[in-house]
Amino acid sequence: MSLLDDLSRRFPALLMARRNLSRNQLRSGLAVLGIIIGVFAIASLGMFGTTLRAGATDQLGDIGNEVVVSPAFSEGVTELTERDVTQIERAASGTTVVPVKQRQALVTRGDERTVATLYGMERPGALYTATDGRVPDRLRQGAVVGSGVAERFGLQAGNSITVDEQTYRIVAVLTQQDGISLVDPNNAVIVSPTDFEADGYSQVVVTAETGEAATAAADEIRDTLNGREERVTVFELSSITEGINAFFGILNAFLIGIGSISLLVAGVSILNVMLMSTVERREEIGVLRAVGVQKRDVIRMILLEAALLGFAGGVVGAVLALGAGIALNQFVIDDALATFQPVNLLYLVLAVGFGLITSVLSGLYPAWKAAGERPVDALRK
Amino acid sequence: MSLRESTKTTEPIIELRDVVKRYDTGGEVVDALKGIDFAAKPGEFVAVMGPSGSGKSTMLNVLGLLDAPTEGTVLLDGRDVTDLSDEEQTKERKRSIGFVFQNFYLIPTLTATENVEMPTLFGDDPDARERAEDLLRRVGLGDRLDHRPNELSGGQKQRVAIARALINSPRILLADEPTGNLDQKTGRSVLELFLELTEERDVAIIAVTHDPQVSKYADRTITLVDGRMQDWEMAGVTDQ
Repeated sequence: MSLLDDLSRRFPALLMARRNLSRNQLRSGLAVLGIIIGVFAIASLGMFGTTLRAGATDQLGDIGNEVVVSPAFSEGVTELTERDVTQIERAASGTTVVPVKQRQALVTRGDERTVATLYGMERPGALYTATDGRVPDRLRQGAVVGSGVAERFGLQAGNSITVDEQTYRIVAVLTQQDGISLVDPNNAVIVSPTDFEADGYSQVVVTAETGEAATAAADEIRDTLNGREERVTVFELSSITEGINAFFGILNAFLIGIGSISLLVAGVSILNVMLMSTVERREEIGVLRAVGVQKRDVIRMILLEAALLGFAGGVVGAVLALGAGIALNQFVIDDALATFQPVNLLYLVLAVGFGLITSVLSGLYPAWKAAGERPVDALRK
Repeated sequence: MSLRESTKTTEPIIELRDVVKRYDTGGEVVDALKGIDFAAKPGEFVAVMGPSGSGKSTMLNVLGLLDAPTEGTVLLDGRDVTDLSDEEQTKERKRSIGFVFQNFYLIPTLTATENVEMPTLFGDDPDARERAEDLLRRVGLGDRLDHRPNELSGGQKQRVAIARALINSPRILLADEPTGNLDQKTGRSVLELFLELTEERDVAIIAVTHDPQVSKYADRTITLVDGRMQDWEMAGVTDQ
């Protein structure tokens, strides 16, 4: 005996409900289809949102871990001193602190020339990696070029370029940086800070292990350096990532809202189906009541029919949505397994739950109407 | 016949006392029953005849606790059941009353056995299936237990309906045109079954009908005309 038969024996209302639904299979099927679409829409749009967010976070790279400290220009501070850097290092312990000097420079190789950003960094290796050559722990001589500049001049490690009047041997070509960064090395040349005439730094880049650590470091730097007077402006990118996350949260809610509308429509179609089927079965329900079936049992039976429709639609919809999610993740972020994360499972459960609740709510009125009719009226010829 | 005589001396199982049923059909008041006194004893088979609109069906509904009288009293086994709540009425119908309808009203998606079980389905009744199968065998459908209604003939459907009416061992069986959709021969076999049931189960059968054949099998026949019972009983008909 199948499980369903076994259950039917234990819950006769289930037997009646199942048989009733099988009576007009096309109609029941169409009602289920509505729920499938609704549940699929909610679950798949929810998962689509998760994928979008994951993709975007991927694109943004590690910027959430970066804090950039610049002089407080509005207060008349134009550069950061060695003392400031020391204070920052002390305040943001446990992070990598890279002071940066910056100006525009004319870069020449042979006949070709271009204007690029010139950074003075003692330890560019703390921030960047190289595709060609090796970024030295301490940059004393020579230059590190960004991928953009390298491509423009066709540079390799070992070539030489002229920056303003000075000629450098290239020690490393940097990997292309995909993420957004305030200190963008792609179109820049990095040399030792001692080659700059100015003593002060234009900014200090602080890199932490995590976004939270970066935020904590930013707070600490603000407290320490801006204690008496406004000395620095601290820009943390984690606030941007927070904003982006909030945006995707809203986007997700919007997508799920659209999905919910289709579920609402499905609910109306279940209402319609249940209403029609109870009207058709008017006499049968009258007989049920006449032979001693209580009102509440009739209500229970009809609600169970609606719930069965919702459950069937919900399960099929969820399975389809899961399939769509796997395909989407495989396609967009190249990682099908990313589908199986808690937030997506939550969307699936939520969607099936919504489908079930919508169906049962839609069954309420027909059930109440059918059970409320007096058997005498239902059986009148 | 002596057995029948003895049952007639017992207390009535169901009784109507001066029952009036009035319908208000949009401004016009219709008296469907105008003071009915009626009683049926266990084991008695009563036929209720009369022209259309005479109040036969209304009387059956009042007897079956499907409808409450406007005036008067309904006694079931000596107890006043006139003003029961819907839930109590339903419980009482399940316990004491079986219904057989002209159109059988079987549930097309259920097998014969399930249809017979149907009144017990929503309660805890573990041996209902066994009783249903026994009843179906009793009415001669032992080989049709798992057939759906559309696989049964009219007479077989009515037998299933009778078995369904008997599943909770009621004291009263109410039949509304039980032979109305059956041919003469099949109708006769159903009526014979009724007769057997009154004897072996001591159940009172009250059948509303147009079919003169029914009154041949009934112990007595009452006639309703315009909501009133006629004084004369068609006792002579049964002896023909």
